Amino acid sequence: MSRLKVTAALVAAIGTLAACSGGTTAGPEGKALSGQTVEVVGTWSGDEQQRFEQVLSAFKDKTGAEVRYTPAGDELPTVLQTRVQGGTPPSVALVAQPGLVDQLQQAGSLIPLSPDVEKLVGDHNAAVWKKLGTFGGKLYGVYFKAANKSTVWYSEKAFGQVGAEPPKTWEDFLAVGRAVVDTGQAAVSVGGADGWTLTDWFENVYLRTAGPDNYDKLAKHEIPWTDPSVRKALETLAELFGDPRLVEGGGAGALQTEFPKSVINVFGEPPKAAMVFEADFVASVISTNTKAKVGEDAKFFKFPSIGGSEDAVVAGGDVAVQLKDDAASTELMKFLASPEAGRVWARLGGFLSPNKDIPAADYPDDVTRELVQQLVDAGDNVRFDMSDLAPAAFGGTKGAGEWKALQDFLANPADVEATVQRLESEAAKAYQK
Amino acid sequence: MTVVEVSVTGAPRRGVLSRVVSRLGNGVVQVGLALVALFWLVPVFGLLIASLRDEASNTASGWWTIFTAPTSLTLSNYADLVGNSTVLRSFLNTVYIAVPSTVLVVVISALAAYGLAWIEFPGRLWLTTLVVGLLVMPIQVALIPVAKLFGSLGLFGTITGVVLFHVAFGLPFAIFLLRNFFAGIPRDLVEAARMDGAREWVIFRRVVLPIAKPAIASLTIFQFLWVWNDLLVALVFADQDSAPITVALRAQLRQFGTNIDLLSTGAFLSMIVPLAVFLAFQRYFVQGVLAGSTK
Amino acid sequence: MTVAAEKPPAGSRAGRGRSPNLAVDPTPGRSPRQAVPFLVPALVLLAALVIYPLVYSLVRSFFDRSGASFVGVGNYVNLFTDPRTLTAFKNNVIWVVVAPALVTGLGLVFAVLTERIRWATAFRLVLFMPMAISLFASGIIFRLVYEEDPNQGVVNAVVVGVHDLFSDPSPYPGAQPRDGAAFTAAEEGFTSSQTFTPGTAVTVPLVGFAPGQIPAGASSASLPPSDARELRGVVWLDVSVGGRSGALDRGERGVPGLAVEAVRDGRVVGRTTTGNDGRFTFPDLGAGDYALRLAASNFALPFRGLTWLGPSLITPVIISSWIWIMTGFAITFIAAGLAAIPRDALEAARVDGATEWQVFRRVTVPLLSPVLLVVFVTLVINVLKVFELVFVIAPGSVQEEANVLALQMWQVSFGTGGDQGAGSALAVVLFLLVAPAMLFNIRRFRREQS
Repeated sequence: MSRLKVTAALVAAIGTLAACSGGTTAGPEGKALSGQTVEVVGTWSGDEQQRFEQVLSAFKDKTGAEVRYTPAGDELPTVLQTRVQGGTPPSVALVAQPGLVDQLQQAGSLIPLSPDVEKLVGDHNAAVWKKLGTFGGKLYGVYFKAANKSTVWYSEKAFGQVGAEPPKTWEDFLAVGRAVVDTGQAAVSVGGADGWTLTDWFENVYLRTAGPDNYDKLAKHEIPWTDPSVRKALETLAELFGDPRLVEGGGAGALQTEFPKSVINVFGEPPKAAMVFEADFVASVISTNTKAKVGEDAKFFKFPSIGGSEDAVVAGGDVAVQLKDDAASTELMKFLASPEAGRVWARLGGFLSPNKDIPAADYPDDVTRELVQQLVDAGDNVRFDMSDLAPAAFGGTKGAGEWKALQDFLANPADVEATVQRLESEAAKAYQK
Repeated sequence: MTVVEVSVTGAPRRGVLSRVVSRLGNGVVQVGLALVALFWLVPVFGLLIASLRDEASNTASGWWTIFTAPTSLTLSNYADLVGNSTVLRSFLNTVYIAVPSTVLVVVISALAAYGLAWIEFPGRLWLTTLVVGLLVMPIQVALIPVAKLFGSLGLFGTITGVVLFHVAFGLPFAIFLLRNFFAGIPRDLVEAARMDGAREWVIFRRVVLPIAKPAIASLTIFQFLWVWNDLLVALVFADQDSAPITVALRAQLRQFGTNIDLLSTGAFLSMIVPLAVFLAFQRYFVQGVLAGSTK
Repeated sequence: MTVAAEKPPAGSRAGRGRSPNLAVDPTPGRSPRQAVPFLVPALVLLAALVIYPLVYSLVRSFFDRSGASFVGVGNYVNLFTDPRTLTAFKNNVIWVVVAPALVTGLGLVFAVLTERIRWATAFRLVLFMPMAISLFASGIIFRLVYEEDPNQGVVNAVVVGVHDLFSDPSPYPGAQPRDGAAFTAAEEGFTSSQTFTPGTAVTVPLVGFAPGQIPAGASSASLPPSDARELRGVVWLDVSVGGRSGALDRGERGVPGLAVEAVRDGRVVGRTTTGNDGRFTFPDLGAGDYALRLAASNFALPFRGLTWLGPSLITPVIISSWIWIMTGFAITFIAAGLAAIPRDALEAARVDGATEWQVFRRVTVPLLSPVLLVVFVTLVINVLKVFELVFVIAPGSVQEEANVLALQMWQVSFGTGGDQGAGSALAVVLFLLVAPAMLFNIRRFRREQS
């Protein structure tokens, strides 16, 4: 599961405190929702929170409604479940795990989106996003922020030392890696202490070796994890993980490396590896934790094609859901579905929108534009992070399920058989519930 | 209090030699304790240095490298937090939550502990056991049921709700502690007061409470501390306006990384008040000694 | 101390006789009615906010995730057939056996010893400090203290520092002859599979080392001219942009100071080191076939300390951080208990000629036992509730090995899976686990009363 599940970005819209009294009549300032308050809950904190709050203040300027944002961090599922149970849900929540949305929907805690919102979602997004926001046949979620999880970030200096070019295919990728190894660095640093980086590795390889159709089936557990396609993907991955010189610290070292550390291993001083695979948010870790400049010292290439596979992107995202049925909340959902909201954050940086009607010029730099473009180019080959779609017991629990199985695989990449057996037995348990 | 028999075999040995040994022993004790204190301080010191460096420096090298290659230490982490109005407001909220929670726990538990220790009634033993058993109740288990309760009472998002929650969950430990402490008070003292016709309330206030001062002081310190450092209860039951400092600090964290620069700065800022409380109440230990020795 | 005794109120009778149904309680300290005002506030709060959730959990534990359908003991069955629970259970046993006793013992010793020093308050303040830091922040501290990278983790920094005092680092850690260069790795080093006779000049391409880290004095590598009596060769770093592998390309430099051995019949018969241009020479080997060996000492990886946060050490490591945090708790309460001990008892014993140890064991400890019991039981229960520390300190990859019941309960009930049924079942199990501690208490109460 994505980091998103962990840090879960759930913006729950917080209940409109004054909502009941307000109605939609024009307030004193002449704006429709003056005097009303919308409460939003999410996981974003720090810079992300500040940027999102600018989006919310644009909403306030437009409608007059007060918006309060509560960052719940990792405790978002707790906060949300507790408040729903206590009968005081927030108005809107931003969630990174479709699994949690599914659960809330089944518990009857979500409000189906109004036809207005549905139209906006259909107009401005690729079909895949609408499908992802649909639960039980109805649209409940608006994808507001996307993550491109098919990027490999590399150190320009390390590549320069061996004269390497960004590889296009898996074979080139391994070859570049071996060339880098000759210079005493590892090819890649893998943040194996965080299980979600490993699921992202697997998903990217699987999407390329097994194709999007199998990907969908495996995500729904319609084919078992003992399927030959899974073995094939793991064997491919073992070509990398199985060579301790390619992976910084070998398997055991990688298992002690958390995601931010894996980025620092490549772009910090002294560098220990040349490449790190993860999503677009690697860029923010580079700028906070190292002196490297994104776009100059640190660049990225698309996850390499395997066996001639087409462009494909594994994506993640934060989906907005509505928990209170009042005018202000509905209005906020409409706003979040419109390009207007996304443009505010796009200009501030650190943001990719699934909304295709945000002008490229709004994104602050070439790196971001390229990341978005890649998402658009992949078209129908965009797939949502599989572990985020899976039940959390399988795809989203530290030290359990898929995370742990792939960590064991990283420790011992030769044992594909044990890995698929474990994956299947964990999946069987989690999906039956 | 239980009667203690002291049986000592052998002749008294308090000669010159033993005094020398005891001097030496004292020196060893001093040095040993100093080492222990140092051991405890090392992580705190590391935390202090981390709060004076930015995230990139903290992830690049360990804190001890400042001794060999002094890097630029900065107070900017502190400046950022102190200059943040949300953090300052949350500081006050924390006081509003922690003070009533502490006072209520101490008062209510002292009453209950007296009732359980010195008033006989049927089922007292079982009631005591039940209360102590509640100690094990993890806070998380209560979140959803209490949320339902608060939802129907309209206590969601209020400081009152947060305080009530803290008081209820502070009681089992407080009662357990004070009951055991009260039970250790010599029976003669209480019985003598009763023979004199003192009412229970008077015995409680004039006999039991003064003796238990050290215990009450330490209970106060810890109850205050636990509430002061709580994140979970506040995150769930407080709203934006009543959010304490832990919640406000939480909102500063970046999505990735250890955030050690922010965490350490926050830790030092929020440590000041509990340490002050500790020092303030520490002196009651001394009073306790005097009270005990004049008996 | 003075005990203020008030005059008995009119109409009340002192004494022990039982005479119920009177407006005024006749038997001080012996009737439920007197207990009521003392107990009611606590009981109301406990009932509403602690007991009700407990009962709720008990009931909830028999229902499924949604809470809609009754599953009987299904949640409990799942719980006990999950291998994770067993690991968690095992770890909890370790925690309970080791940690509370250790902390109570430390607290007792420190509390007694601090009575003998002037800076007792300062000492207690220092040990109290960790308690004033949130568990989350404490967890992060120890995550860093035990970090494997010696540039980050202070423990490994010390371990490595001490280790390096006794052994010199190797000149070319991690380097090795290029694959296919016909050297096989063994414990002693890389030995050529081919043998050479004097008069040959051997090329040994080395990889796996950063060109920038070669000593500054190194010069361009080239093959030495052969000499009939000598076995010669060159060792160079075969890494350059556009360079061919295995070939001496422009700009590729020799590897100076590398120990090379000549081996015959498995015995080392000659030793030399490479010069600045990477060349080496065995001048007087005599005729015959020799294998070349690059000694392992050239390439030994630097010692990096221990993997504290790996699967085998993780639980002791987390326990050590808990001890760091909780000793302040124990010392504070035990010191409070000490303060309440009548000095006369201690003095009397000392006057009788008891040694300090005897006073400690025969007087102090028995008098402290009510407090020690409170501290110990509280610590046991605290240990059973520990989960933030495990969650924060254990890297995800060893979380399963470090798992404890409280953490699992947290993940099951509030992870995004949100299975309150299974979570409640775990809570009930946790509650039942404390039964021994409670029974212990009951028996103690009984003894006290008698």
